[in-house]
This record gives sequence, structure tokens and C-alpha cells, in this order.
Amino acid sequence: MIETALALLRFLLGLGGVCLLGYACFALLVPNPRDFRPLESLCLSFGSGAVLLTLWMLLLSWWGLPLGLILSLAPPLAVAFLALAVKRVVGKVPAGSEKPTPMPPPSPPTPFRTWDWVFIGLLAALLLFAYFRAVIYPMWAWDTIATWGCKAKLFYQSRGMDLTCIEAHNYYPNLVPLLLSYLYFCLGEVNDHLAQGLFPLWGALLLGMLYSFLRRMGLNRTQGLGVTAFFALNGTVFISHLFIAYADLPLAYFALAAVGLLYLWLMDAAPRGALALAAAFFAGLAWCKYEGPPLAGTILLAAFLTLVWLRPPDWKTRVLKLGIPVLGLAAGFLPWRLFAAFRHLEMGADHVRNLYPHQLLESVSYLLRALIDPFFFGFLWPAAALALVFSGRGLWRSPRLFPALFLGGNLLAVLVAYAVAPTSAAEFDMYVRATIDRLLLHITPVAALLVGEGVKGFKVEQQIETT
Amino acid sequence: MKLTNNWRGWLLWLISGLWIVQIIWLAWYYAPDIKEMAWRVASRRTGPAIRQEDPFYRWALTLAVVIPPRDTYIFLDNYEAGKEIEARYHLTPRKHVLLPPAAPPSFLFHALRQEKASYLVIREGDKAWSSSDAVAESAAFLLLPVPGQGLVFKVDFERLSGLFYD
Repeated sequence: MIETALALLRFLLGLGGVCLLGYACFALLVPNPRDFRPLESLCLSFGSGAVLLTLWMLLLSWWGLPLGLILSLAPPLAVAFLALAVKRVVGKVPAGSEKPTPMPPPSPPTPFRTWDWVFIGLLAALLLFAYFRAVIYPMWAWDTIATWGCKAKLFYQSRGMDLTCIEAHNYYPNLVPLLLSYLYFCLGEVNDHLAQGLFPLWGALLLGMLYSFLRRMGLNRTQGLGVTAFFALNGTVFISHLFIAYADLPLAYFALAAVGLLYLWLMDAAPRGALALAAAFFAGLAWCKYEGPPLAGTILLAAFLTLVWLRPPDWKTRVLKLGIPVLGLAAGFLPWRLFAAFRHLEMGADHVRNLYPHQLLESVSYLLRALIDPFFFGFLWPAAALALVFSGRGLWRSPRLFPALFLGGNLLAVLVAYAVAPTSAAEFDMYVRATIDRLLLHITPVAALLVGEGVKGFKVEQQIETT
Repeated sequence: MKLTNNWRGWLLWLISGLWIVQIIWLAWYYAPDIKEMAWRVASRRTGPAIRQEDPFYRWALTLAVVIPPRDTYIFLDNYEAGKEIEARYHLTPRKHVLLPPAAPPSFLFHALRQEKASYLVIREGDKAWSSSDAVAESAAFLLLPVPGQGLVFKVDFERLSGLFYD
């Protein structure tokens, strides 16, 4: 019993180290961290910390230094806090190119309504279930055993990124395996069932971030909580990813952060430093999973097209500012590619072979079924589609175009990915079934943002009519 | 209230109603998991104890004792069975090479020589695998007395000529 409690304490302290490192990075990137609510800061800090820590571990491996707890955590933490101290002493605010966002005047705390408690209760019950479901069972799901968990175990045992004994998927990015191996260093052993507790916590951070973005978009507490619960408790895909330890949940988290921050920036509702902060999440996208860079590409393309279409007064300057997330993407993409090139790791090219038109047609029906079958995402995608329909012509005159373009572009990208997948006719059905839910999970939190817009629009219209 | 807004209101209520049904369905869907989790916590059969219930894991543990950590082994199994990835996970950091049971002796011997593999592991060795006769006849293979879900051979790969078309 005491051993379990101590292991849990070490696990939580390890996660605390990631958050601390992330907070230092967060506080360096934004002019005033107090522009963010505590929940928002926590949710954003963890992602930045995970990216920084694991990239540092990659560098350590590159230099041939053995991975370990002290060497993995202490130097980046020391550098980050030194930089933070220098920033505070010098008092120099980074050239905040964004317009300062005035903080809303502090309003008296509103009491929680019954519905708030209902939604909080539902979310708490889900996360409690997912946490116990994750930590009671050892790692068992296919990709966890085959790739993410296996690599983490190997990195821990070899004290480095020795990939010679893994032949399959050794070219995959390593944010998740390195973070898991860091937790093993914290725990002092390969305790894969306790380390799986990372994923429900990551899911909780994703939900916290979704709620924070919804609030910044103008939804009140009840609406924000309602939409967050509507996302979390709709279908089985998100719920199962809370405990199967796949890299898709972290990728969905990074995608939501990157899209959400860019969306707020396009709406002029972002806190200062949002673009620099988004850069950290673009790095996370590239460093988390093979699908990350194309996903990041669609985000940037959607933002670019939105700016060109809407033409706000400073659109040219804004287009140039999109270079900041591009830098982040490069920071997450290049180190691993260079490492792999220097170590002569063969890079797979799973999906680039040929175009198979019949697969494109077949995948349309698979995709539509996955979007409307309640087993996958419940009624979230139909609700997002309705929210888009009810936007009417306003869609073409507002930054809401950005998430719509992102989602549409990604659905199209999914179809194209299946059209070029080199599978036999007999395997195609199995291949699509095994992957489509995960590909949609990456973008579903953004669909929840659209649902939030729909809820907000509905309430605004009702208020106008009643007055 | 406008007709369109009324329409939207109805849709909102419809989706909310469907969502409530969905939550009830989710509770029903995950109820067996909750029941089993409660049983496991109550009986303290969690974490590593769950793995011990799996005979394949127990076999993998005995293989981990037999195969030294720096050695390479060839695992003969169908990828689709999903057991190969489990073996690789449990036997890490030993170098793992997968070949299908249909691999002909020429290719198996070539792979053993090429990879400098000291062990050959065949899951479900009692079932048909193409190279069984060739392995039984070759002096380079020694069947180890490891009880479990398959066969384990110690391989003297230097005694194999390893030519692909031999």
C-alpha cells in the first residue's frame, strides 16, 4: 500500500516537473501570464513542457549522454527559470506584435448553477472511470504494445534512443515514448500501468483547454461546461483513448491548442503572445505523430485562406505573422528528422505510392458512416454540421471560416490518404476500420469549438428577440 | 419568436435528448468494465497481477530468462495474431525479428545467419510451420526444454551456410 502511494507520489512529482518546465516556457513566451486563467495556464503549460522536455531528451541521446531523471529535467528547468528571471529583472516585454487584449473587468463571482454541477459531475465521473481503467490494467492495446509503450520501455532500459532492436515504426516521432520513459525514470522502474495514468490526465487537460477556449469565444460557464461535456461524453472514441495510451489523444490536444489559439487570434480575442504560444503546439504536432505535420499544414493553410478571404485591414502583416507557428513546426519537425538522418534510420513512406480511385469512393462511405454513427462520436459531428448550416452567410464574413476550412480540409485529406494507401482490396476494409476513428479524433475537439459557436449564436439570437 | 428560431430550438432540444440517450447508452456500454474493475480492486488483482493471468506472458517471462538481453531471436508467427508484438514488448531489449510460419527453410536459415540470431522461437510450434523438418534435421538447432506456448531452439547460426538459394 505504501509502495503504491509512493509510486503515485513520484508519478505526480514527475508530471509536476513537466508542468513547471512548461510554465517557465509559457511565461517566457507570453508578455503577461496573468492574461490567462489558472486552468488555461495549466493546460497550456503541460503541452509546452512535454515538448521541451522530450526534445531535450532527444538532444541528450544525440550527444550520446545517458538518459536519466536529473539530466533530463534539471538542465532545461534551470535554463528556463534563469531566462524567466532575466526577463523579470530586465522587465523587457517581447515585442508583442499582437494588439494588447484588455482584460475584462473582474466581475463578481457567479454562483454555480445546477446545470454547472451536472456537467462537472458528468466530466468528473468520466475522468475518474478513465483514470482507474488506465491504471488498473497494464498496457495492452495494439499500438501501445507495438510502438509507443515498447519504445518507452526500450529508451528506459537502454538509457538512450537505441532503436536497433525495433524494426517496425522506428521512424515514428517520439514525444510520447520519451515522455513515458521520463515517467519510468521518475518511478525508477517500468511501471506501465501507473504510467498509463498520463493519458486520462492528458484528456482532462484537453477538456480544460476546450472549456477555456469556449469561454474566450464568449460562452458563459454553463454553456462552456455543457459543450465540453457534450464533446467528452459522445461516442466511445474519445473515452477509449483516455486509457489505451495511444499517441492520438496527445495529437488531438496539440491540434486543439494550435487551432484554438490561432482562431482566437483571428477573432482578435486572443491574449497577447498567443501566436508564440501556438508555435510551441505546432512543434508538439510535428513531434508527436507522423500525421502531425500534415495536420499543422492544414491549420496554416486554413488560417492563410481565411485571412486572404476576409481581408482584415492588416491582413498582409497577419499573413507574415503566420511565420511564427511555421518556426514552431520546424522546431518540432527538424530535430528528429536530422537525428534519424545522422543515425541512418530509414524513414517510412506509408502512404505515398499511387492513387487508387476506387478506394477514394469507398472511403467516402466509410467516412460518412464514422461521422454519423453514434458509436464513434455520438451526435457531435451532426451537431457541428448543424452549427455550420445555421451560420448561414455569416460563415463567409467571420473568422468562423477558419475552423470550417480546417475541418473540411482535413476530411478531404483523410479521403486522399485512403485513396493513396497501398493496401490490397481484401485488407482495405480492415485498414479503414482500424484507422478512421483515430484520424477523426485528431480534429473532433475543433468540431466541438464549432458546436460552441452554434450554441453561442443560438443564445445571442434568443436574447435579441426577447429584447 | 420567428419560425426559424423555433425550428432551431426544436433541433437543440432534439440533439440534447439524443445526447441524454447517448449518456445512458455509454453507462450501459461501460458497465461491465466498471464491474470488473471493482472486482479487481476488491480482490487486489491489478497491474502486474493481470499479466500473470496470461499464459503467453508467463511463457515470455521464461523466454526472458533463457535469451540473454543482448541476443537476437527470430519469432515465427503471423503478425495478425498480435502475439508477436506482445513478445517483442516483454522481451525488449532483445533484438526481435518476425518471420511468418510459411517462411521456407532457405529464407529462415538466411535470416538467422544474416541477423546473427541465437534463438528461434515458434509460437504454437505444435501446428504446421514450413521449416519444421529442415530445423529438426539440422545440427545447428537445439530444442530447449522450455514449457509454454511454443518451441524454443538455441541456434548456432555460424553453422548455417545462410545462402538464400541453398
